[in-house]
Amino acid sequence: MEFHPLPQPHEITEREKEDAMGAYLMMFAAVAIGLPLPIINLIAAIIYYFVNRKKSRFIHFHCLQALLSNIPTTLINWGLVIWAVRNFIGHHEWTETFWAYAIFAGLATFLYFIVSLIAAYKARHGKMYYFLLFGKISYEAAYRVRPNDEPGTEPVNKPPF
Amino acid sequence: MRSFFGLFYIYLPHGFVLLFMGLWGAILGFIAWWMILFTGRYPQSFFEYQVGLQRWQMRVNARYFNLTDGYPAFGIDSKDEVITFEVPYPEKLSRGMLLVRAFFGWLYVLIPHGIVLYLLTLAVLVVWFVGWWIILFTGQLPAGMHNFIVGYMRWTTRVNLYMGNMTDTYPPFSLD
Repeated sequence: MEFHPLPQPHEITEREKEDAMGAYLMMFAAVAIGLPLPIINLIAAIIYYFVNRKKSRFIHFHCLQALLSNIPTTLINWGLVIWAVRNFIGHHEWTETFWAYAIFAGLATFLYFIVSLIAAYKARHGKMYYFLLFGKISYEAAYRVRPNDEPGTEPVNKPPF
Repeated sequence: MRSFFGLFYIYLPHGFVLLFMGLWGAILGFIAWWMILFTGRYPQSFFEYQVGLQRWQMRVNARYFNLTDGYPAFGIDSKDEVITFEVPYPEKLSRGMLLVRAFFGWLYVLIPHGIVLYLLTLAVLVVWFVGWWIILFTGQLPAGMHNFIVGYMRWTTRVNLYMGNMTDTYPPFSLD
């Protein structure tokens, strides 16, 4: 598998660095609109990814990594929200298992926040930062050489006859 | 036509899209606040989005106030031949002012400007109503009324820009 060369920090514009940094800060989207629903962060990350992925490979990489790393945290927190709402509405018991899961979700979110902030800082300085698993996937998606990377001479739009 | 059916063919479709674009703008504005705090810069693409969003709202408002005819274009990047709205991108923003605005903005911006703008809004509604009848019979809005409404829109936009951390220049108490 072939990959495009990685740009060095001095080759990346300020604007690219800012856009890449912004991807990780989508984790605050839910706070921004005052809805404590974890899905909001994921939706924001998805929108941000699709809006920015074509700008450059550096931005594409960071947006995708931010989006992918958002998914497990969203699922974990969403599970907690559903469980809490179910307990609250159905007057179920707040079991030890629930609290254990809540602590786990809190720690996972905290860890995600810290790692994302580090990644945002690195992106702001034009550096790559690879998360476990997601880093590799994002790198492959953004930097892999594809046959259709170079625009061909074959016209895309053709007449109907 | 616009007064009776504008709700259906202008304000509802634009309002629906602008609601979601505005939510996205709120998210970007919140994130930009933190980015300014740490880097001293408003991310340029976020800034351009906010300017485009304001321009879009202005296009719709201009039709609402009968300042111009024509259908307002959809889209952040779209422009209007009769409405010009440009905001110079600030390379650096003061982090101190950012904090002052966040904690005391209500005191030194929102209260003084809010009181004046509240009174101006009432005046604009009267002008808009009178202007509607004048347009109906003469086919044109008097220049004084037009300039008054435009000045009001300018003023509110300047306050929005300042409170949206897009400029460090305190908005003047002026319709010009």
